[in-house]
Amino acid sequence: MQASRARLFKEYKEVQREKSADPDIQLVCDDSNIFKWNALIKGPSETPFEGGVFQLAFSVPEQYPLQPPQVRFLTKIFHPNVHFKTGEICLDILKNAWSPAWTLQSVCRAIIALMAHPEPDSPLNCDSGNLLRSGDIRGYQSMARMYTRLAAMPKKG
Amino acid sequence: MEHHQSKGDTLSPHPNPNRNPCPICLGPVNDESYLDQCFHKFCYNCILRWTKVAAYKHSAPPTSVKCPLCKTENFSIIHGCDGFSFRRHFIGQDFHKSDFFTKAHKYRLQSYYCETGTLIDVFNPTRYWKLHKYLQPSHWLYDWMRREIQALTQEEDVDIIVHHILGVIESWRRNEQTSSRTSPEAKQERFRILVSEAARCFLTGRTNQFVNELEMFLASGLNMDAYDKVYLKNLGWKIPEINEDEEEPHEHAPVVPNLYLFDEHSDYTE
Repeated sequence: MQASRARLFKEYKEVQREKSADPDIQLVCDDSNIFKWNALIKGPSETPFEGGVFQLAFSVPEQYPLQPPQVRFLTKIFHPNVHFKTGEICLDILKNAWSPAWTLQSVCRAIIALMAHPEPDSPLNCDSGNLLRSGDIRGYQSMARMYTRLAAMPKKG
Repeated sequence: MEHHQSKGDTLSPHPNPNRNPCPICLGPVNDESYLDQCFHKFCYNCILRWTKVAAYKHSAPPTSVKCPLCKTENFSIIHGCDGFSFRRHFIGQDFHKSDFFTKAHKYRLQSYYCETGTLIDVFNPTRYWKLHKYLQPSHWLYDWMRREIQALTQEEDVDIIVHHILGVIESWRRNEQTSSRTSPEAKQERFRILVSEAARCFLTGRTNQFVNELEMFLASGLNMDAYDKVYLKNLGWKIPEINEDEEEPHEHAPVVPNLYLFDEHSDYTE
């Protein structure tokens, strides 16, 4: 308990100190609970998510960093490895391949990398995975782009 | 992380005092320790805790751990480096389960990490050499040395090492009995060199202290139990957080209470 708090506090200070270090990631800690964090990440360029801003919710366990944080998308996203309804993310480093050397910031980077490089063979969103697996790249991209516009971009007008 | 830090260093006028934090707690490294293959650095307690958590994923206790930074397979954690010796925790090795490693072994191992300088005055090796006591072999030396080397090497079968060192001591004694022209200091010096040479390849950085301990044991003229009692009494006087009695009866009962003093930081902790 004490160890996880101390470590999260270190991460908090690092985020404050290096606010501009990674313009694609904006990590914010809940005012009253250091175990709850939110992140805004920019969709990577040259992907259907470009131009979108996606919100992530972090729930950090008391055993952190020995146990991984739980992360999900709050913003709707059409991606093979993200559950369309719950926003759950299928990413090895959030499960078996977790290492305590990861930080919330680096987890965000890993998620951005996952957005750019989907793994259609372990899909949480089968529709999205099937489009990619059947080779329908254009179909996948247009669906993903549509949801990016609908959910991850500011409404016009 | 490195990328961030190097950037921070160039920006801030004051160098960051914590440039190489432990990757697990992100704080300053406490009880510096290294994985044996990749040599990545962590706090001892941090990497030990991670090793235990990582072990839960396996059905049988693993004998290796992947480095949290580079995923290299590592077999032990090296810590407590003081420039001469270090401690080593082998992954998945649990000394509480092995029969030979008794509490007495633990106390012997721990004594190598404490300031035991005042014991020299108690056992007075100088007198031992002046009065030619070394000509009389100690009956208890074999048992004492066997336990000592078991404790230091954390191996049960150490007979070869013990016989080797005892053989060296024995032939030295035979030489001394025939030719006794040299000064006590020269004899002591010769003895220390011979034993060091015999022991060094097994005990490496702990050799010098082993020779000190050996001299003290011989100088005491005591058997193992009596020696332990005197030894611990003096060690106990030096250590404030001593807890006197709370152990079940044991063959070394009077000495047992001191044995958990350094549990957290010793070689045999799980």
